Amino acid sequence: MESKIIIPAPDPLALPAPYWLFLTLLVLTFLLHIIAMNFMFGSGILAFIAYQKSKSEEVFGRIYESIVKKIPTLMAATITLGVAPLLFLQVLYGQFFYTSSLIIAWPWFFVLIFLVLAYYGFYSVAFSTHKKSNLMGWILIFSVVLVFVIGFIYSNNLTLMETPQQYAVKYHEDPSGMNLNLEDPTLIPRFLHFLLASLAVGGLFIGTIGLYNWEKDNAYAKTILTFGGKWFNYSTMAQFIVGTWFMMSLPRESIRLFMGRDLTGTLSLTIGVIGAAIAIIIMSKALKSDDPRSGFKKAAWLTGLVVALMTVIREIVRESYLKTFYISHNFDVDTQWGILIIFLVSFAGGVWLWIKMLRVYFKETATT
Amino acid sequence: MNYPVWDISMGTGMLMALVAIIHVFVSHFAVGSGLFLLVSEKKAYKDNDTHLLEWLKMHSRFFILISVVYGAVSGVGIWFTIGLISPSATSMLIHTFVWAWATEWVFFFLEITSALLYYYGWDKLTRQTHLWLGWIYFISAFMSMVIINGIVAFMLTAGDWPDTQNFWDGFLNPTYGPSLAIRFVFSLALAGIYAFVTASRIDDPDVKAKIIKWANMWIIPAFILLPFIAMWYIGNVPTAQWESALGAMPTATFYADLIMYAAIVTFVLAVLAWFMARRVSFVYSMVLLLSALATMWSFEYIREAIRKPYVIGRFMYANGLLESPSDTDGGFSVEKIDEKGILNTARWIKYDHITEENKVDVGREIFRVECQSCHTVDHYRGIKNIIGAKKWDRGTIYKMLDGLDLMRNAVMPPFSGKDEEREALADWLAQVTSAPSQKQEVSGDGAQVYNTYCNSCHNYKPHDALFRRLKSWNKEKTMARLDSLPALFNRMPDLELSEKERSTLIDWAKEQFNGEKGK
Ligand code: HEC
Ligand code: HEC
Repeated sequence: MESKIIIPAPDPLALPAPYWLFLTLLVLTFLLHIIAMNFMFGSGILAFIAYQKSKSEEVFGRIYESIVKKIPTLMAATITLGVAPLLFLQVLYGQFFYTSSLIIAWPWFFVLIFLVLAYYGFYSVAFSTHKKSNLMGWILIFSVVLVFVIGFIYSNNLTLMETPQQYAVKYHEDPSGMNLNLEDPTLIPRFLHFLLASLAVGGLFIGTIGLYNWEKDNAYAKTILTFGGKWFNYSTMAQFIVGTWFMMSLPRESIRLFMGRDLTGTLSLTIGVIGAAIAIIIMSKALKSDDPRSGFKKAAWLTGLVVALMTVIREIVRESYLKTFYISHNFDVDTQWGILIIFLVSFAGGVWLWIKMLRVYFKETATT
Repeated sequence: MNYPVWDISMGTGMLMALVAIIHVFVSHFAVGSGLFLLVSEKKAYKDNDTHLLEWLKMHSRFFILISVVYGAVSGVGIWFTIGLISPSATSMLIHTFVWAWATEWVFFFLEITSALLYYYGWDKLTRQTHLWLGWIYFISAFMSMVIINGIVAFMLTAGDWPDTQNFWDGFLNPTYGPSLAIRFVFSLALAGIYAFVTASRIDDPDVKAKIIKWANMWIIPAFILLPFIAMWYIGNVPTAQWESALGAMPTATFYADLIMYAAIVTFVLAVLAWFMARRVSFVYSMVLLLSALATMWSFEYIREAIRKPYVIGRFMYANGLLESPSDTDGGFSVEKIDEKGILNTARWIKYDHITEENKVDVGREIFRVECQSCHTVDHYRGIKNIIGAKKWDRGTIYKMLDGLDLMRNAVMPPFSGKDEEREALADWLAQVTSAPSQKQEVSGDGAQVYNTYCNSCHNYKPHDALFRRLKSWNKEKTMARLDSLPALFNRMPDLELSEKERSTLIDWAKEQFNGEKGK
């Protein structure tokens, strides 16, 4: 009786647009979210490292200050971009996602409280007139730790979501929502994988501060670019170990998909891994040269591609996990044309206006 | 029953309320403030008013910290929370309105970006560009409201949607217009109120007075308009539903009173401040803020309360069950559950059949899946107190369960399930309320008989069927008729009142409303 697999019935209402459209939007918006999240989290950690280094090296104080000023905006981007995949995830995988969230309801609910605290923490450091004080250092690390915990809770929910075998047992053990998914063998490597990715991508973000200041203050720009670039290299190297660990922790079924069983999966993974390796080589070379800018940019774009491929891989893994419980082509579709067109038009108009706002803003602030 | 129930003793309703109240207060502020900042900035340029401008810069920092941070996180919070508390309804809303939400997301994105650029752009951008960003902010914030309002109003008055399941029928529902008007006008008042708070901390009394008065020009007119819009709103809520707020449902009635007092207090405080604008203190402004909060909170609370028993009007009950069956509903309609039973339908119940030993535990689980969306065991709307206070015996509890949907102006869904399941629920309820095993005669007067057995479904009003009949029929006939309530009206429970109970009840009823005219 206890080992029974329980999954809620999918929603009886038809999908208001074809499956592929939702899937595309899910993957696309998730990619944007994850990049913003990496920027924010990675910058948070690196800001703290810079804070520590500033005690011995003057220039790191400056680096630290310029990073912390940007974190609140990165946080805003992370949250705003996170709303969309959360929406589309519920459309496609509602019966799994609501259930796993419910089973770990309390930790999941606490994400909100941690998020508000971390957010205000980042803001207080950014707005402080004594950024380098001890207090601000503490607030910063406190906020970073909160984000770390949030990430960990997310990993718990998303691994649990993909393993319906666990639902009934866990729920009946404690219906009050005081659960996590610690027994899942992929949990730790998966979480570390995201952590390292954040450091690497965060390093790239920090490096771009150097790119923008290259003409204005060359020595400083070079230090910060090297700082970001080095962290990119270290964490991407470590990723080879953690990534392999993560991969091996997956069920056999899923691993096989990347060993030739699934063409998109195998290609994505192969190109992804090779891409990451090349990015490290380019970056190392660049950091040794006098003008690392073009090498840095190349490595960054290449990494962007790798992250995009990883997002695709992520979706393939999810589908393989849920394969026996979920048939993606089984949806009734009843497209709501009117509002769908309104959305598409607003979306296109929104992107245009968004770019225009930023261009006008940066053009005017650059001249004053 | 399709999803597990998050089983916490304080009740999930309270948690939802907590998250919702703060979000609502902040999100409305975010819309109104868009226009407020814009108009104030223009005014400052026109009058060449540097004080106002300096204060606006400070105020906009406060605005960013509240709306961009708190507003955004608590908005996500609403999602998290409704997903945990009413997953079936959330899923249904998402499937119906995902494109509306996606469109809202585009505006949300523009809103956050323009707010940040507006804030960071003070003194860096030309005045024209800065105002342009202000406009983008205000329009996108307003559009978010235009969209979300449709979905929230839909849950109260689903319009033709349950029949057609057409997007626009649900979105442009009967309360859409008045609800948008209330929200928008209130958001303007809130913009004034928050401005009032930051202005109260200005040192220079002249500057302070000027800005307080300016803020008041947003609050006072809004509060003059609101009662009229509220009447428009009420006019579009079905009358029977509105009855809940007029006495039939205790909690809704409480907030219907509160909203009037709170609105009056807010208005009076704002008007008084006009005459002592130089001396307004921070504490004063906080009192104003709190009374405005109570007003908004009551509005949202009443809306949620009169929506009961539904979570989606005329379609889905608060406990996730569907009012009427359809081919694809997975068996989660009242009718199908009556037929197949709860244990065969609910997915997250440990037991699949009832035995003598597990009966009470099964009853507990039934309470969890059918009642706990609105009740707790012994906290908010705690069933232990509600039933305990009535001193019902086990048999009465069992009988009453059949009439839940008639009680308190129909705020509850019917009990749905097989007879043996109703027995199990009654057993558990009897256990937690330490109910007597046999019916005990009510010792007090007729009022007590009425409060014990009749007031769940009947209203203490002259035009209620009970009072109309008991007053007009002669006593002897009534004694006989009350012997079998189902014979009087087939959905009434057979409560088996003793002769003494009947007699005192009738005597008491005849004495009521004698000064007034029955309708
Ligand atoms: C479970 C709900 C419920 C309970 C409990 C209940 N009633 Fe009723 N009763 C009703 C309903 C519903 C009607 C029909 C309402 C109408 O006609 O407006 C009704 C109608 C009546 C009528 C009018 C019948 C007619 O012929 O018009 C009388 C008299 C009455 N009830 C007496 C009582 C008394 C006395 C009690 C308490 C001992 C009681 N009821 C308890 C639900 C209930
Ligand atoms: C849609 C929400 C909702 C659901 C579901 C619900 N109730 Fe209620 N119930 C209420 C409300 C509201 C009241 C009125 C008390 C108030 O206003 O606080 C109430 C009152 C009651 C009362 C007291 C009636 C009276 O005489 O005042 C009982 C008994 C009761 N509920 C039992 C149950 C049981 C048993 C279940 C599950 C089978 C259940 N309720 C499900 C909302 C609900």
